[in-house]
Amino acid sequence: MPPAADQWVLLVYRLQREPSTPRIALWRKLKRLGVAQLLDGLVALPLDSRNREQLEWIADEVVELGGAASVWIAAPGGAAQARALAATLQAAVAEEYRAVIDQAHTAAAMPGGRQRRTLARLRRQLGRIRRRDYFPPRERELAQRAVEALAERLEAAA
Amino acid sequence: MRWATRAGVHVDRTASAWLIRRFVDPDAEFLFVGDPDEVPADATAFDMRGAELSHKGGDCTFETLLRRYELDDPALWAIARIVHEADLEDERYDAPEARGLDVLLRGLSMIRSDEEMLELAGALYDGLYEHERRATMLGGEPS
Repeated sequence: MPPAADQWVLLVYRLQREPSTPRIALWRKLKRLGVAQLLDGLVALPLDSRNREQLEWIADEVVELGGAASVWIAAPGGAAQARALAATLQAAVAEEYRAVIDQAHTAAAMPGGRQRRTLARLRRQLGRIRRRDYFPPRERELAQRAVEALAERLEAAA
Repeated sequence: MRWATRAGVHVDRTASAWLIRRFVDPDAEFLFVGDPDEVPADATAFDMRGAELSHKGGDCTFETLLRRYELDDPALWAIARIVHEADLEDERYDAPEARGLDVLLRGLSMIRSDEEMLELAGALYDGLYEHERRATMLGGEPS
């Protein structure tokens, strides 16, 4: 069971459906931060100064685009609710780590040059996932090891 | 002139303060506040919600300042790409230096006050500016 964060920062927003490009760009930004979507137009992140700041900038951007948005600091009403939210976020990054592990295994059969490029890409990808990994799952360590194993294999072949 | 920004400065605010002092207002005096409501009437706010000199249309504050004061020095724009990626991490630019700068400043902010951060980061940006200036002149990595 992942630890529960006591405090969360919430972004409540509404943005017109059309044009869809800014909506998609907005959603991509939120995904990059690793938000939990509570409802349509309501997302949450564990509270820290970086997450709060990033959501505040996004709120301003929504307003700039003609939508409505506000940022709130909140505590879950109960421990079970907090755990469920943390578990959702943990499951999402676990899935991302598993994709890295699969790609690291697939890369082992590739020729050297492609293996090297895949290694560089997977390392960058791992870095990105770690930034939004607020409740580290077991897969974090496994993904790290799979990528390092690929690096060692390349080193040995050189 | 007096300039105000949020306390707990990091990449975008230290870089913006450096830019203001070096290219906009050599006598700049900086204050740090907890909330936009605490900005004194005679101070210009930056990197703060509701301020004109802030994030805008996907730009970070450093980029907004460059546009607002029409600073088109390519070395400053090279720094802007690094600051943008360190602050927003949206991969608009390829700036691998960003991650390093982010970690260095994050670490410094754990042991230094905001005033000291401006001092120390200022020296860092002076060096970065010189490096980027030579790189733009040579069209490659300066030795």
